[in-house]
Amino acid sequence: MVMTLYHGEPTGPSLTVLAALFESGLDADLRAIDLAMGERHAGAIPLNIEANYSVEGEGPVLVVDGEALCDSVFIACYFDDVAPGSGLRPADPYQRWEMMAWCRWMIERVAPGVAALANRSWTTPRLAALDEAAFAAILESIAAQDLRERWQETREGALSDEHRAASEARVHEATKKLEDRIADRDWIMGDFTLADLESYAWIAPMRELLPDAFVGKPRLAAWLSRVAARPSVRRALQQARTAHSAHGFAPGPEINRWG
Amino acid sequence: MSGDLTLYHWEPNANSGKPMLTLVEKGVPFHSHYIDLLAFDQHKPEYLAINPMGTIPAMVHGGRLMNESTAIMEYVEEAFPGPALMPADARDRWRVRWWMKFFDQWLGPSLSMLGWNVGIGPKVRARDPDELKAAIDRIPLPERRVAWRKAIYGLFSEEELAESTRRILIGIDLVEKTLGEREWLACDSYSLADINAFNSAYFLPISQSEHCNDEKTPHIMRWLRAIYARPAVKTTWAMGRTAMSDRIKIFEGEEVKPW
Repeated sequence: MVMTLYHGEPTGPSLTVLAALFESGLDADLRAIDLAMGERHAGAIPLNIEANYSVEGEGPVLVVDGEALCDSVFIACYFDDVAPGSGLRPADPYQRWEMMAWCRWMIERVAPGVAALANRSWTTPRLAALDEAAFAAILESIAAQDLRERWQETREGALSDEHRAASEARVHEATKKLEDRIADRDWIMGDFTLADLESYAWIAPMRELLPDAFVGKPRLAAWLSRVAARPSVRRALQQARTAHSAHGFAPGPEINRWG
Repeated sequence: MSGDLTLYHWEPNANSGKPMLTLVEKGVPFHSHYIDLLAFDQHKPEYLAINPMGTIPAMVHGGRLMNESTAIMEYVEEAFPGPALMPADARDRWRVRWWMKFFDQWLGPSLSMLGWNVGIGPKVRARDPDELKAAIDRIPLPERRVAWRKAIYGLFSEEELAESTRRILIGIDLVEKTLGEREWLACDSYSLADINAFNSAYFLPISQSEHCNDEKTPHIMRWLRAIYARPAVKTTWAMGRTAMSDRIKIFEGEEVKPW
């Protein structure tokens, strides 16, 4: 089995997958790419239906024996299936249900809000600086129309007051839920799991953009420090190629189209 | 066992049908508790006491509540003996999860938006306006309140409906291509992905008959009939109480009404 992981800066879904790989102890060839410059679509990755229509948008891609795997939580589940005992998922079926339901909430409710805020602040200026031809070339390489539209909206900096407010509300909801959850435990599921990585990867970058959501939450602050101190997370953060690696977002999941 | 396991569900359709068919395929006895979605049973105090989110389906096993239909499916697969509904190979398992997410988060919302617009909305719209308003006000999740309001009062915009139709046609194309390459949706064996997808896709030859039929999508039709032929499907659909559950008879060659 030959695995190559195409990942962006260690933030958001790329941070989850890098740290999950290191937790699993599996070997993969690491290839850093600039997701916000469309390098996922530049030809090196054998994009298939699944990678082109990933609900996660421009996330990392794991190529296993020529097949592209995407979506950070599912790539991490794949690592856990290949390396059972990695600890990425609890062994008990009920705890697994709880962890998958937590990750589903993070993916479906929280991640789209974080992606909208992060991209507006950090990706919009990068895309706006591209000339028309360079941006058109990126768009042309993207198969899914709704993903192309998210790229265009990101370049235009189109984020309505309503969309911004909804996104900020999701981050506030998430930091409160984490603060409450950590009340009687060190990690979200009791023991450390993928839920901690996925939650950290989306929430930690918001400290810079939405500091209010973190004020007066000492347990959340302690949990963030605990996750950051994991050897897997430290090693993932060492893959950074830019000074502000937390800013390395790219058009990601959209806010659920209706309820 | 059945006294210990209760599934709260509506018709065998979409989210409710996913855990129903999974339990029946596994041969797990359960107490079936029908919740009448059109009577807003899911938002009544007696149900909220069981599932405070007010969503269907929900499952109680050993006194513990679970919601999120796809996460419940994985729980049933892992917690009970019976025929395996997850493949053994890790990459096949990844594909099962990817296709379930595609149906849950990309295609599903579009299918249900159209279904609610032409089916469920008109069915409940005829009720007493004050009763409807009170019913909406009782919905615990804000995003579900918005969804119900739109469905009941027919507030979906032309753009939203057009985008849903666009996605459904792309979804049909992607599923047809995939089923042209392998017998089942995610791998070479029947899996949770087929169970998940069937609960929405069985309706496509009815709602999108121009685009999903023997001539244009032979692979989808072959796949739907293969699933319909399974005894578990008959058992599951017999738990339906409304005319909706008769729609499945399209695979007997019968003329069926969409709503």
